[in-house]
Amino acid sequence: MKRTVWLIGGLIGVSLSLAAQREAPLSTNESTMIGIGGYNLQDTYLSPGININYTGLMMRVLNERMRVTCLADEHISRQQLVNVEFGSTHNGAETANIYAGFVDYDLGYHYRFTELPIDGLKLLTGLSTRISGGFLYNTRNSNNPVSGKADFDLNLSGMAIYNFCVAQLPLTFRYQMEVPFAGVLFSLNKGQPYYFISEGDTEGLIRVSSFHNKQVMRNYFTLDIPVGSFTVRMGYLNSMYRTNVNDIKTHVISNAFMIGIAKEFIAFGGKNLKDKSKYRSAYY
Amino acid sequence: MNKYILYSIILLSILFSSCEKGAEFSSSPRENFEALWKILDENYCFFAYKNVDWNEVHERYSVQISDTMSQYSLFDKLAEMLAELKDGHTNLISSFDKSRYWAWYENYPRNFYTELQDNYIGTTYKIAGGMKYTRLANDSVGYVYYGSFSNGVGDNNLDYMFTYFKNCKGLIFDVRDNGGGVMSYSDRIASRFLTEKILTGYSQYKKGNGHNDFTEPNPLYLSPSDRIRWLKPVIVLTNRHSYSATNDFVNIMRLLPQVTIMGDRTGGGSGLPFSSELPIGWSVRFSACPMLDVNMQHTEFGIDPDVKVSLTNEDIAKGKDTIIDAAMARIMNPQDTVGVQ
Repeated sequence: MKRTVWLIGGLIGVSLSLAAQREAPLSTNESTMIGIGGYNLQDTYLSPGININYTGLMMRVLNERMRVTCLADEHISRQQLVNVEFGSTHNGAETANIYAGFVDYDLGYHYRFTELPIDGLKLLTGLSTRISGGFLYNTRNSNNPVSGKADFDLNLSGMAIYNFCVAQLPLTFRYQMEVPFAGVLFSLNKGQPYYFISEGDTEGLIRVSSFHNKQVMRNYFTLDIPVGSFTVRMGYLNSMYRTNVNDIKTHVISNAFMIGIAKEFIAFGGKNLKDKSKYRSAYY
Repeated sequence: MNKYILYSIILLSILFSSCEKGAEFSSSPRENFEALWKILDENYCFFAYKNVDWNEVHERYSVQISDTMSQYSLFDKLAEMLAELKDGHTNLISSFDKSRYWAWYENYPRNFYTELQDNYIGTTYKIAGGMKYTRLANDSVGYVYYGSFSNGVGDNNLDYMFTYFKNCKGLIFDVRDNGGGVMSYSDRIASRFLTEKILTGYSQYKKGNGHNDFTEPNPLYLSPSDRIRWLKPVIVLTNRHSYSATNDFVNIMRLLPQVTIMGDRTGGGSGLPFSSELPIGWSVRFSACPMLDVNMQHTEFGIDPDVKVSLTNEDIAKGKDTIIDAAMARIMNPQDTVGVQ
C-alpha cells in the first residue's frame, strides 16, 4: 500500500519537477569502505547433530551510493549497497576451519522526512530488496563440505542522518537498520549430499522465508569527518543472519569496523556530455 | 546530543557482539561421549538394517566414561563404541589417532597382491588419470587397473584408453583393493558401457532425527556416454577391499549384459559418509545416506560376484594371479560382442 502511494506520488513529483526550476542539480553520495572484524558462524549441515560455533576474522568491502530521486517531489532517495566479504574461522579446539564468503547487492528507496524539530536531523524510511549469495566451506568434511547460501529478500529499512558540528568541524552521523520480512532462499535439506542434488533430487531446496524461519538484521553506523579536501567515513557494521530451514540451523554474525572515503558528485553522461561548458573532462 | 550518540554506539556494539548459543571447546569426557552418541543417534543411517540397539550401547558405554579418564582413554573408548556399528565409513579422528573398522576386509582373503599383478603388467603399462592399463594375452585382452576412485578419470583418458583397446576381444576392469572415492567417477566410467539409460538404484537421506526417518527412495538413472563406448565383454575384478564408490561401480556394472563380476564379494560401504565434530575438536565420520540397489536392497555388506574366484596358494607360489588368469580365459572363449562404437 505504501509503495503504491509512493509510486503515485512519484509520478506527480516527476511532472511537477519538470516544470520546476531546480536550485541545484541532484548529486550522488558515494563511499567505498573496507572493514575488518569478526565472524561467528554455525551451520548444522556442516556439523550435524551438534551446535558448534566457529569464530575468526573477516574482511569486507562495501560500496554505497545514495541520491535523491525525482519521485514524490524529491522526497524519495535511492540507496545501492554492494558488499563483498570473506572470513576464516576455526572451532574452539582450533582443529577445523570454516571459510565463508558472501556477495550481496541491496537496492532501497526511502521516503525522507527533513522538516523535523531537531536541526540537522533527517529520518528516512522505506523498503529495499537484497540479493545475496555465499558459502560456508568446512575443510574437514567428506560429503557435506559446503553449505551454499542464496537469498532474495524484501526488507524494511530505516535511517537517521544527523549533521552537527564539533569545534566548528562539520560531522555527519548516520544509523541505518534493515530487517527482511519476506523472501525466498536456497537451502540444502538436512543430511542431503550434493551428489544427490546432481542426480536430480532437488525437492525443497527453494523455500519462502520470513520471520518464522529467518531472522536477519543489519545495523550500520557511519560518521563522516572532513579531512582536508577528503571526507573520511568511519563506520561500524553489524550483520546478524539466522535461519532455521529444512532442519538446518545457520547463523552468520559479523561485526566490522569500517573506514573509507565518501564523496558527493554529480553524475551525468550520454547526451548531457554534449554541453561541454558544464564540465572540463580529462577524457572527453 | 553528541554524548548520547557515543553512548548509543557503545551500547549497541556490546549488544551486537553478544555471545551466540553453541558448544564451545570442552574436553569433558562425559560431554564428548554424549555428543558423539547424539550425533550418531540422529544421523547414522544403518541402525535398523544392522539391528543395532543404540540406546543399549549408550547404557553399556556410559558407565565406562569417567571424568578423570585421559584423552587417550576417552578416544579408545569412543572408538570402541563406534566399532559396534561395524561400518568402514565410521571414523573418529583426533590429532593423535584415527579410529577405523577394517574387519570388512581384514577378516577375509586378500585376493590381490601387487607383486603378482606386476608379473602381468610389468612396468611399461600406460597411465591415464588414475588408471593403469595395458594389453595382455598377445594384445587380445585389455587390462585396466583402477586403484582409487579418489584419483580422477577424465573423458579424454577414457577415450584414449578404449581406442588403445580397439582390437581386443574383451576388457578386464580390475577394481580390487579400490577403497572408493568420488562417486561421479563411478558414473563417468560406467556410462561408457551402456547402450541405453538405465535405473541403477535409489538414494535416500535422513529427513529427521529418528532412526527410520528417511526420505522416499529417489530413483537414480545413468545415461550412456555420447563418447566412445565399450560393448564387448567386460570382466570386473573385485575383492573384499572393493569398497564404497567401488561398491557403487560394481552395483551398476553388474546390471549390464556384457559384464561379468569376478573374484570375491565386495566390501560394501553403501552409505555416503557425512562428517561432524565433538566439542573436544575431534571429527567424526559416519554413514549418513543409504544407496539402495535396483531392488531397493542395501549393499552395505557387499555384492557377490557372478563368478567367485580366489587366489590359490599354488598360483601365488608360481607368481600367478588366479583371478586375472580366469578372467583372461573367459574372454578368450568367444562371448557376445557388439563392437566399439
